[in-house]
Amino acid sequence: MAISDADGYYDALWPRSPRQVQLKPLAKRLDTLEGKTIAQMWDYVFRGDEVYAALEEGLKERYPNIKWVSYKEIGNTHGGEEREVVASIARRFKELKVDASISGMGC
Amino acid sequence: VLRASVAAEEAGVPSSTLVCEGFLGLAESTSVGLGMPNIPVAAVPGHTGVQSKEELRRNILDVTMDNVIRNLVQEPQAATEESEPGARDVICGGTYDEVNRYFYEHELSDGLPIVPPTQERVEQFLKHCNRDSEEIIGILLPDSRAATIWSIAVNGVMAGCRPEYMPVLIALVEAMADPYYGVEHSGNTPGGETLIVLNGPIVKALEFNYTQGVMRDGFIANTSVGRFWRLYLRNVAGFLPHKNDKATFGNTWRVVVAENEDVVKEIGWQPLSADMGFAAGDNTVTISRMTGGNHISSISGSTPEEMLPYLADAVVRQYSWQIMFTVGQGMGTLRPVILLSPLIARAVGKWGWSKKDLQQYLYDHARLPAHQWERILRDWTAKPIWNLEEEWRLGRIPKAFFESDDPNRMVPLVWDPEDFMIVVTGDPARNSAYVFAHNGVLGYPVAKKIQDTKVAPKSRASQKKGANVTAA
Repeated sequence: MAISDADGYYDALWPRSPRQVQLKPLAKRLDTLEGKTIAQMWDYVFRGDEVYAALEEGLKERYPNIKWVSYKEIGNTHGGEEREVVASIARRFKELKVDASISGMGC
Repeated sequence: VLRASVAAEEAGVPSSTLVCEGFLGLAESTSVGLGMPNIPVAAVPGHTGVQSKEELRRNILDVTMDNVIRNLVQEPQAATEESEPGARDVICGGTYDEVNRYFYEHELSDGLPIVPPTQERVEQFLKHCNRDSEEIIGILLPDSRAATIWSIAVNGVMAGCRPEYMPVLIALVEAMADPYYGVEHSGNTPGGETLIVLNGPIVKALEFNYTQGVMRDGFIANTSVGRFWRLYLRNVAGFLPHKNDKATFGNTWRVVVAENEDVVKEIGWQPLSADMGFAAGDNTVTISRMTGGNHISSISGSTPEEMLPYLADAVVRQYSWQIMFTVGQGMGTLRPVILLSPLIARAVGKWGWSKKDLQQYLYDHARLPAHQWERILRDWTAKPIWNLEEEWRLGRIPKAFFESDDPNRMVPLVWDPEDFMIVVTGDPARNSAYVFAHNGVLGYPVAKKIQDTKVAPKSRASQKKGANVTAA
């Protein structure tokens, strides 16, 4: 900003643009995970397969009747198939009777 | 990852998003543009990429699992909406220095001085198009802001563009908003930067450099339009470093590359614009996102057969993990761009070689041993499923990738010869080329005609198995 101060006065406009998205409500949370079906969603990177294996192991100890829908059932949530897979989530969750979901890996 | 969770929440299913520690800020910023600023995330300590198997398991069991449970059974805090200025609001009044300080402090500029976007200057830009200034070209992720003609003019002023560049700027934003391009991926790990190629008589009319030093700053048209691209990504799409832009290292913006259509015509080739589905002679912009590139010096020989082995070898050397866009995430969407100096293009063309001949040569000779593919994608970068034989047996990739089970067989870098994009430009007196490394489906090539009405040819991405398929 090497220009002198004697360079006039400017009313500068906002360079952004209004957001076109409204606040959306989150889904109602569950009272417990016991007996519930949890869907795994994965972008097929950053070792999500190992992460889900560990979560399955740990959650099974706390909630013996927890059930899983594998990421293999859902499809890759990133890359070339992303739009198609994300668009299918509502339908797939209904078909698979999913109660809650986990999505990884944001790394 | 968050977009999948938003889809789950919209379906009435609670979600928990697994986010490595260093990406929590990104998740916070991105969730605002998705309309769910309070969507819960579960932190994963450190980064999974550098942890032992046992270390990762312990981190998940000791830290992440409790977060996941909390995310799914506890109601998150209610979301609040932040107020923002209106589309045409004056946000700052003052001297040049004061305006620049305000814009920088409010993350509205790139660190270089901007031209203050005043009503008068913006109106000068609007006179150079026949579009309603309120028109929305598209909604840009991650901020979900409207890409309007008005905001194009404002950012064009800031970048130092001339008003007559406005039709070029509009075409660029039309390309940015095209779903095939995938603007939402602009802040990802490799920090790729968009390459803009300009074609048509507009190159000369607006005095774009298309000869020596074509990628160098110093020419107002090439430089300011390149800067505009990055400012628009920042201000309207919403890519801010340390927030939505998570480039590991990043690049600065590239100046516009204009093709030398005089030479293209002289040797009987067609310009890139025609390769992208337009008529030769149309004014067009073509964008694609590149993770890097290299200058290929001193291509020597008196025939194409003598010159091209070096070029084919150089093309292969620009590609490592990016082959995941050939087989993996975004099947068949790798599109290497090669700039040929006019001297090399003429030297190849004089032997009767067409551009298609050159593309076929590169397809046949720019190849990697099969075992190298699997080593890069499976062993080195932890993409756990990539196996060429398995992918071919599942019908997901062409036969060229599994013609035998010999691990030393050579497999192509791309699915089709025409995936190589050739542009003639640069110093007419030098025997060099430049090869860009492409970011595949996360910045797929998109071209738009420069005009005041929208005309978009069918993108080749739609023909690729597994590529983004939403219509433009």
